[in-house]
Amino acid sequence: MLAVALLTIKEVIRRRILLVTLILTVVFLALYATGVHYGYPDMVNHAGPLQGLMAAQFLALGLYFGSFIIAFLGVMAAVGSISGEIENGTIFAIIPRPVRRCEIILGKYLGYGLVLSAFASLFYIAVLVIIRWNTGMSVPVRLGALGLFCLQPLVLLAVTLLGTTFLSTLANGVASFMLYSVGFVGGMLEQIGHLAGSQVLVKIGIFSSLVMPVDAIYRKIVYNLLSAPGVSFSAYMMGPFGAGSEPSVWMLFYTGLYLLFFLAMAVRVFSRRDI
Amino acid sequence: MILETNNLTKMYGSKTGCSDICLAINKGQIFGFLGPNGAGKSTLVKMLVGLLFPTSGSALVLGQPLGDLEARRKTGFLPENFRYQEWLTGEELLSFHASLYKMAGEEKRRRIPAVLGQVGLGSKGKQKIGSYSKGMQQRLGLACALLPDPDLVFLDEPTSALDPLGRREVREIMLDLRSRGKTVFLNSHLLSEVEMICDRVAIIKQGRIVASGTMEELLVDTVEVEMQAEGLSPPLINELATLGRSCSVNGGLIRLTLGSREEIPSLAAAVVRSGAHLYSLQTKHNSLEDLFVNLIQGGGEIDAGSSPVDH
Repeated sequence: MLAVALLTIKEVIRRRILLVTLILTVVFLALYATGVHYGYPDMVNHAGPLQGLMAAQFLALGLYFGSFIIAFLGVMAAVGSISGEIENGTIFAIIPRPVRRCEIILGKYLGYGLVLSAFASLFYIAVLVIIRWNTGMSVPVRLGALGLFCLQPLVLLAVTLLGTTFLSTLANGVASFMLYSVGFVGGMLEQIGHLAGSQVLVKIGIFSSLVMPVDAIYRKIVYNLLSAPGVSFSAYMMGPFGAGSEPSVWMLFYTGLYLLFFLAMAVRVFSRRDI
Repeated sequence: MILETNNLTKMYGSKTGCSDICLAINKGQIFGFLGPNGAGKSTLVKMLVGLLFPTSGSALVLGQPLGDLEARRKTGFLPENFRYQEWLTGEELLSFHASLYKMAGEEKRRRIPAVLGQVGLGSKGKQKIGSYSKGMQQRLGLACALLPDPDLVFLDEPTSALDPLGRREVREIMLDLRSRGKTVFLNSHLLSEVEMICDRVAIIKQGRIVASGTMEELLVDTVEVEMQAEGLSPPLINELATLGRSCSVNGGLIRLTLGSREEIPSLAAAVVRSGAHLYSLQTKHNSLEDLFVNLIQGGGEIDAGSSPVDH
């Protein structure tokens, strides 16, 4: 398993997936920092009584798009990790070795998971630092929130790994992004539902969180960070990027089971599949 | 037996991949497995190395059931459609496969240069695989297969990308393995190559083994006969088909494979008795290619042993 994990990490580095992602992330963060630097003072001047919300709004925006970029990286890195190797033939020389198929899947999960977690951690800290420097708002790092930020791509990675065991690379890419979009759009609708008092929209959001819980994790992070001591406003007031209600601990428990289910199914499908 | 299969069958829906394959291969042999494209050669090898799961039947590899990890530690495999991680160097690829074989550091350091030298890539180990020619990649695949010093090695078309010199080198590697008591299971289209080095052969057609035995049993015990005749009637053609192990008729040209020379007079007698005009009858040197073509284009089965099992 460790050999496969190390090869996976090496692949991400050697095939310049990580390099391209890091360069584009630096570009994104530079743009984001510039936006906060110049936009924040102007918005505070025009926000009137809502000026206290502006820094939090920028923070949520950074984390929201950060989640999106990391989810994108997770899906793109793993989308063909099995199907692509079957299509190009590299896996024919690996499976006959004295290694269980579950070790191949779990090794790949571990490899991609470590890279994504490291990347997500750096991104998370960068956003917090940018907010602090430009707005003076001090948000505690909170390891729980950091862990949840890393958990988002790990959930999507498990889903993508299941898809790659039985779908073609292209079909898996489409399926994974569509599933991600269900959570993404459902989460937005839920927040609008909270603001507009529409129970139907809230229920749609809850249902979509069960189908794809990544967005619920994001809401938990926002709620967790913006309900910190010393922060005097509610995540509820953040609009579509906020959290109208805090996802419960049972939602986290469900997310854990969801991840394990998809990973177990990936192992099961791959272990029984003819190559 | 180092490899034994018992009615091993693979179905793809209603389509047959291989059917009721029974083989028994002793240690220290080069076993040739022949058949036309789509006959089921690669299907059998893929089942034996764990890429495909059999629909029915069973097999023992190095005395262990299919999928056993201990058996895989002493088994090498070169796939037909070889492709390796182009972003690795040759040495890095071998190091990865050595890790999959759970080889210790010292063994890794000893085996990797040894197999690279064995396949003629001694000085190319530090180059990226992406810069290798197709022939070099095939040599590297062979190095991967030989890495654990396997007792049994499956080679699926190991010389398809090599030039004549490279083919000769690979033949020498296979002969060297046999001399060290190793067993080689060779899938190949190159009949002359198989004839040159294999101890035993099996021929597969439409998923079934239609001939198996030692090279001597398959080639010496059969006689190829070619006849020119006119006035062939359908009953005569049927009679000839029953006399021969395989029979093909093309206009007035009849090609037959007989079990022995003693059957030739009865063949001539049957033609004359039917009233057909026999212009020529000659026996031909029987090569593996003739046998292969007759079996694949014609019909019939040859089993050099007393059962479908190849001892």
